[in-house]
Amino acid sequence: MGVVLQMPVVLAALLGGALLTLLLERTLLQRTQTEPGPAAAVDYRHAVDPPNADRWLYPAGPVLALLGVALATVVIPFGPNLIGEDLGIGVFYFIVVVDFVVLGIALGGWGANTPDAVEACYRIVAQLVAYVIPLGLALVGAIMMAESLSTVAIVEAQTGLWYIVLQPIGFVLYLITGLMQAYRAPFLEPFAASIQQGVLHTSGGWQAMAWRMALSGVLFVVAAMGAVLFLGGWQGPLLPGPVWMLLKTYGLMALMLWLGTRVRLRSTAQMLALSWKVLIPVGLVNVLIVGMLILLGVGTA
Amino acid sequence: MIVNSYAIVGLICLVIVGLALLAAALWHPGLRPLQVPAAWNNYRFGYAVYALIFLAFDMEMIFMYPWAVVFASIGFEAFADMFVFIAILSAGIAYAWGMGGLEWE
Repeated sequence: MGVVLQMPVVLAALLGGALLTLLLERTLLQRTQTEPGPAAAVDYRHAVDPPNADRWLYPAGPVLALLGVALATVVIPFGPNLIGEDLGIGVFYFIVVVDFVVLGIALGGWGANTPDAVEACYRIVAQLVAYVIPLGLALVGAIMMAESLSTVAIVEAQTGLWYIVLQPIGFVLYLITGLMQAYRAPFLEPFAASIQQGVLHTSGGWQAMAWRMALSGVLFVVAAMGAVLFLGGWQGPLLPGPVWMLLKTYGLMALMLWLGTRVRLRSTAQMLALSWKVLIPVGLVNVLIVGMLILLGVGTA
Repeated sequence: MIVNSYAIVGLICLVIVGLALLAAALWHPGLRPLQVPAAWNNYRFGYAVYALIFLAFDMEMIFMYPWAVVFASIGFEAFADMFVFIAILSAGIAYAWGMGGLEWE
């Protein structure tokens, strides 16, 4: 019964969050004059019918991607009781459903069967191979200290001190892998201008709209999850919880996007090398450091 | 409680797919022609080794989540166990690296 009310609120949160994200990203891109990547303009006014497309995979791509971010929005808390549903396995669920966006881009790109879109399919799968493990290792630290996978419990565990203070390595890992997970500069290879923004060029009409929502939404949920895990979520003095949560989410998003524009774009191969030769070893060390901190009695209740 | 968890996930799936079907049925803008060759024949998966290493590490990460939740209540023993686990995995990545498994193509 309550579910019927929760569902539109979750979708409204995603819609509002994605629109604000688009606004922020467009403003920033105009100032820095960098490649737009997933934020590039799409063609709503024309449908596209790629001549050799797969009948089912091609339209399934944007729907799956949008579904992934909508499901991810469910576990993002904007206040102690302001959450779609506090699933017990929140963070784990989040990792799984956000990867639906990769699945959507891979299916949509392969299904469109144009050289650029299939190239995007390959690049996005390689990007997944690069980011999932260091991202997961960054999250493990926060889970160890909170002793829970629930997003609400993780925020409540940070009442005294945010995890950005206790786990700076994990936070930096999250900044980098978050940019990879949201396909933003410098990791926008699947949406590079050289392949005409990949799947975006081969989509139009409602599909373009779904891609727009999904690709803005993914940056929104990634930044929101970063605020939950490392910046204490809705907690803060004076202002009400949801305001703090929004401030932290968009502050973190602006920081990530700005940092991303400060370095040159990376190719998929460079990103894989960075991930496996630097980020994963650092992530494993981070897990051990956090473990030692906990054994010394730091950060636990 | 548990029914509620499944219900909201299921309902969101239904609504998103429903909205997409509705949009596909109602939204018929003019066509933008796209003249490009088919591409499926031109590609091959060149990163099979990467995929294998990825699978091993992805599973390792999954094992870490239940461990991370109970870590603080078990204490040093859990730390030592995971240290051995991470040491074995690090040996794996060092081996793959040394054998050239982390080179693209």
